[in-house]
Formats: sequence, C-alpha cells, structure tokens
Amino acid sequence: MKKVALVTIVSLLLTGVAFAKGAAAPATGLAEQNVGCGWGTLMWKNNADNSALSQSTQASTNGILGNQTFGITSGTAGCKRPAKFAASDSLVRFAYNNLDSLAKDIAMGKGESLDTLAELMLVPAANRPAFASTLQSNFTNIFPTGKEDYAEVLDNIYVITVKNG
Amino acid sequence: MAKVRCRFMQRLGYFLDRDRGGHRLLSLVFFSGALLLFLSLNGELWGADTPYLEELLRQAGERRLHQERYWQIILHYKPTLAGSKSRIDDPHFFLAPNGRTDPQAELGATLRAFFQEAADQDNHPICRFPARFAWLKEELQIDGTRLPQVECREFQEALGTIKPKAAVLIFPSAHLNGPASMFGHTLLRIDGARNSKLVSQAVNYSAFVDSNNGLTYAFKGIFGLYPGYFTILPYYEKVSQYNDLERRDIWEYPLNLDEAELERMIQHIWELKDIASSYYFFDENCSYRLLYLLEAARPALHLTDQFFYWVIPLDTVRVVQESGLTTATVYRPSQASKISHLAAQLDGDLQQLALHIANQEIAPAAVTEQAAPPEQKSIALDLAAEYLQYLLVKKELGPEQYKERFWAVLSERSKQGPAATEQERIPEPTKPEDGHRSNRLTLGGGVKNHAGFQEIGYRPAYHSLLDPDEGYIEGAQLEFGSLLLRYYDPSHRLQLAKLDIINIVSLAPRDLFYQPVSWKVVTGLNQQTFGDGRDHLIYRLNPGGGFSCRLGRLGLSYALVESDFNLADQFRDKYAIGLGGSLGLLSKPLPFWKTSLYARKLYYPLGDDHQTLEVGLTQAFQLNRNNSVTVEIARTKTFGINYSEAKLNWNLFW
Repeated sequence: MKKVALVTIVSLLLTGVAFAKGAAAPATGLAEQNVGCGWGTLMWKNNADNSALSQSTQASTNGILGNQTFGITSGTAGCKRPAKFAASDSLVRFAYNNLDSLAKDIAMGKGESLDTLAELMLVPAANRPAFASTLQSNFTNIFPTGKEDYAEVLDNIYVITVKNG
Repeated sequence: MAKVRCRFMQRLGYFLDRDRGGHRLLSLVFFSGALLLFLSLNGELWGADTPYLEELLRQAGERRLHQERYWQIILHYKPTLAGSKSRIDDPHFFLAPNGRTDPQAELGATLRAFFQEAADQDNHPICRFPARFAWLKEELQIDGTRLPQVECREFQEALGTIKPKAAVLIFPSAHLNGPASMFGHTLLRIDGARNSKLVSQAVNYSAFVDSNNGLTYAFKGIFGLYPGYFTILPYYEKVSQYNDLERRDIWEYPLNLDEAELERMIQHIWELKDIASSYYFFDENCSYRLLYLLEAARPALHLTDQFFYWVIPLDTVRVVQESGLTTATVYRPSQASKISHLAAQLDGDLQQLALHIANQEIAPAAVTEQAAPPEQKSIALDLAAEYLQYLLVKKELGPEQYKERFWAVLSERSKQGPAATEQERIPEPTKPEDGHRSNRLTLGGGVKNHAGFQEIGYRPAYHSLLDPDEGYIEGAQLEFGSLLLRYYDPSHRLQLAKLDIINIVSLAPRDLFYQPVSWKVVTGLNQQTFGDGRDHLIYRLNPGGGFSCRLGRLGLSYALVESDFNLADQFRDKYAIGLGGSLGLLSKPLPFWKTSLYARKLYYPLGDDHQTLEVGLTQAFQLNRNNSVTVEIARTKTFGINYSEAKLNWNLFW
C-alpha cells in the first residue's frame, strides 16, 4: 500500500513537473543581450521552452520580457557594421536578425529572405535571378567556415556581387 | 516648420538671468511653483489664446462632440450603468483627472492641452495624441496658427520609417503540441513601399511579463495581473517567433483600408505607445485591443461591440471578414509544415538519409552517391537543414554543433542548384476561419441502465477531438467551461452531468523527425456512480502523459499514463487519488465520419479505495461545417457496479 502511494505521489509530481518544467525566456527578442553576431545565436537565444504548458501559455498570452515597446529603429546588439560598403540600417538589422534563413536561402538559391536581401541591397528586379544564382554558387566564399558574423557575410556578398558585375 | 520658441521657457530664462546673485532663488521657486499650480488647476496656459480656446470649448459643447462615435472609439469608451468608462486604465492616457469616466471632461481637457506651451515638443498633447488632434482640428475647423507651434519629430520619424501603404491582419494558428495555443493570437502588419513583407512592421498587443514560470504565467494572464502594451517590431521577428520557434502556421488577411483610414489607424497606434492596460487572457486580450485600431481606421464599423465575456482571436478574424475589411487570405507555412512537406516527397531511405545527415552520422556529400533524381537529393539536403534548425530551437543541439552541421549541409546543398518550384509549394490546409464555429450547443438523449434521459449542453470554446477537423489540428482538444445538464425521465430528476472547467488533450504523433510527448489535463465536475448505485457530483483533476503514433489508415493511436484526484463528500475520507492509464484509437474512416475507441483503467488506492474501468466507442458524423451528430456507447465498472450508457446527440456550432 505504501509503495502504491509513493508511486502515485511520484507520478503526480512528475506530471506536474512535465507541465511546468523548463523556464527559458519567452520567445521574443531582447536585442540588448549580446550573444554573438553569427548564425545560430538568435534562434538559440530566442527559443521557446520545451514544456507543453509553458509553450501553451506563452503562445496565448504572447508575453514579452523586457520593456521596449516601439522598436522601430532599434539596433543590432552592438555588433559591428559591414566595413566594405555603406549598408543601410534596415539591411544591417535584417541581416543580423535573419542570418540563418539567409544562409539557407543562399544555399537553396531562392527564398523570401534572399528576395528581401536583394531588395534591401537595391538589386534591380531584372538582376535578381542572376544575383541568387551568383550567391548560390559562391556559398563557400560568403560563408568560408560558417562562423562568420553578419557584417562579414554582408561584406562578402558585396564583394562577390560587385566582382560579378 | 519654423520652430517658435516657447514663451514660458523664455520668461523663465529671463528670470534666471536677472537672478545671478542668487538672492532671488526663493522667489523663483515660489514663482514657478505658483505657475505650475495655476497651470494644473486651470488647465489654461499662460500666454495661450484663451478667447479662441473658449470659443472652441463652446462649440465642442454645443455639438456634443464627446458623444461622437470616433471620440468613443479612440478613447476606448464603453457604456456602463453609470455612464461610460474607458477600457484603458493607464492615467497617462487621459488629460482630465476624471477622463476615464467622463468623455466630455476629457474632450475639454484635450482641447485645453492643445494650447499648452510646447516645452517638450514630442510629448506635447498635439504630438502625443495625433488622432485626437487630427479629428478635433477637422471637426472644429481649428486654426493651426492660433495654437502653439510644435514639431512632432518622433512621430514623423516613425512615419518616415514605416511609410504606411497597407495593413494586414495576422493570425498565427495553433501550435502542434499546444492545444491552448488554439486560442490563438492576432496582430497587425503595416506594409511600407517595399515588396518584402518580412521588413514590414508588426503591431502587436502583448503582456509584459516578469516570470518565466508556466503556471505563474497562466495565472497572471487569466486574472489581468500583467500590464499589456502595444509594441511595434519588424515582422520578421514575429515570423521567426511563430513559424520557426513555435511551429505555428501564419494566416494573413490583407485589409482594404484607404489612405485616410490607414492614417487614422497609425495616429491611434501612436496614441497607445507606452500606455499600459491590464492584459486579460480571455477578454481584454490582444485580439480585442486590436479591434479598436480597426474601428479607429473605419469608425462606422462596430467590431468591439460584438464581444461580451470572452474574445477568441479566431472569432475576431471572422468578425473582421464579415465587416468587409478583408477578402483575401495568404498562407505562410511554419517550419514544421515545411519539414513535413519535404519529408512527404521523399521515400523512406532518403528520409533516413536526411536524418543521418542532420545527426552527423553520414556526410552530406553522401547524397551525391544516391541513385535518386537530382531534385530528390536537393530535397533531402533541404530537409536536413530545416531539421537542424528545429533541433537547435528545441535545444537538442548546441549552437556550436549546429553551426558546424548547418554549414556542412548548406555547402553541399549550394552545389545542387535551385529546387523545382512545384516542389516548394506547400499545399494550403483549410483556412482556420473555415472551421466550425467556437460555441457549441448539444441536444440529445439516451439510456443509462434502462433509465432514459435527455440532455442539453453548452460549450463556449473551442474544439474537441470528435468535432469536425477542418481548420483545426487533428488530435488536439481544448475546451473551456463545457456544461452538460441531464434530465432523467423515470425519476424526473435534473442533474448537472458535467462541467469541465478545462479539458485539454494533445495527441501529437511521433515519427522519424518528431518525438513529442502527448498529454492531457482535465479538471471540473462530473457525475460518478458510487457503491450505493447512485450518482454523485465529484470534483476531478485528471492529468496524464504518454505517446501517440499514426497507424497508417487506421488512424491515430495513443497510450497515456494518467493520475486522478477526486473530491466529494460521498467518498470515504472525502477523496480518492488514482493512477492508471488509457489506450485509444482515433480514426476517420470517411471524410465526414470520425470514431474514437478507448479503454481506461484507474486504481484508486488512496482515500476511498476502488477501481474504475471504462470502455467506449464514440462516433461523430459531420452534417456540414457547423452541425454534427454523435453516437456514444460506453460500459463502465466502478465500485464493483457495472453500468452501460448509450446516447445520441446533435451538435450545433455557432
């Protein structure tokens, strides 16, 4: 009888823990935390926690930790800017926040992030297919090791597209 | 715009200049204190064009402008028994001390405030409340030259960055393994001149939280203990949050606002900057607050008036559609949908290969050795790349490992050339708003141990396993406040058969790529047969966890370990605590026919010692989108007593 009681209590506790376990920050960016400027960092930092209940309640209350409200012109967490050309703020911010998707799109030769990059880099619409295929065939020149930060990536893209006319 | 120097500051500066000796410091303090007192008491400002202000106040009063619809909308007034009250509680939002409950006083104070000297231009009421200013200026034909000249630099800068051209209502649908997210969320997207929507701005109302704990979170969310704020942030952040991190598909509804309507909306959004209002999960939530922005854009619409006790985000999407604000829909699949779609195009071997590549058990270059068509090889690498991101998000992979593997996969992928277009197109599921409605009325009858009964049930929200699936996630159930009353014919007895406070079930199937845990939480009141053979009402808290998997065409099978806490006076010691499990199979033999076969066994060794075994089959027949018929048969043995029940119910969703 005692054993059964123990099993029950333990299982109840486990059930409770399963629902409440994990306490990572809700999934909205706090650009102030400097966690690096390369890929992987933002997704890692922003990830939702694994507990089912936390995920559900987060998804429902849409909680935000922090106090920035109208972040229309907020920055890039103190990461450096591209050195080889005058990139616009929107381009720098976009590259900083979307480096993983950009890498994926460049490797696949197409995608929404790549289209956005082309627009922010003011590539004329007619040249965009060529832009995409140039970047795809130069993937390892843009990302020589995969540890590049977004400023280096933008510089590499700039050099490659200028070189290729 | 020429900046006119602030007369008040000029006077003060003059005073300070004369006061170099310092002996007049006391009188300076007295002077400024008296001035401030004068300003705050009177609301009328030194140097202002008082006769003109008086004239405007008189006109506003005569025309009863405070009763106008637009004023009611942008101040968020709602009628109460005593008059009206704003749904915003932040005092910074009001210029009159009693502005929250007195629309007329607020309008007067607003007009007076426009005449304030412009010390801090960006925070001058003209800049701080651009929608109020624009409207009053037009209604009263206010002569701008007779007002203090202010330059709203922050607002203009924001407008310059956003360059509003169009607005889109955004609805992220449910999370795969989070039925509570079915409740949903809505936000707005303001598109500028760019084609790329990712760099548009998202306008979002959300709770600002102080805790990471799931339970605290839920509690405070439900009881309005978190302040809610409007935020503006790039849309790509929201896409990444919903599509990638939370694995929710996003639905976008472009709004047909014209330029003037859009302008009014942006002005009103600006007014809500840094204004706190209590966030209530059920009613004064994201979707409710968002409706005010749409009303501010098109004041003829009555959107907020259509909700009373709770606001289900998806219902607000429907209301917006019915109002004629939107006709089109755009689907933005989540990363989970992309992964499923990619995997579905590959045979088992290539799926395994993608998995091995992601797990670094096989080098990405190995795809080139496959005897598959080139597109299939590309898809296998695409799948590996997407899956690596999923592993990172789930923290099953650290950033360093991820970077290395992601780079290796993408390097190989870049050699394969672009993918064929048709393979990238993810088939669009049923639109969430085309699913059944949220309210459900149940009418029916049946037999329990030879006693006939009729029953009536009402459930305000939201979806159960046997309700029609279209627009919802299969295997997910979320019910709030589901009530069932039953009347027994022989005994003429009316009983509360069931009141589920919360009933959540998430049966998320496991496959090659995902290994989610299935779970349930049920709490509420229901009838339980006791050893005396009679039914008594008990309280129940019944959580459980386990696994589900898809058995091909047979359907979705599951096994859950469950515990159960029961409270009732009729129990010996007034309680019983049990442990056991359930097995079940959910099938869909035909598109309109769903079945649920289940068995559940629980041992209650603590409190009142007893056992329960329950076996049943429920079938649901969908008549159309908002009507279904369910047939249930069940056999239960509890406290050594056997009984059977059979019933037929009609369900109407509205």
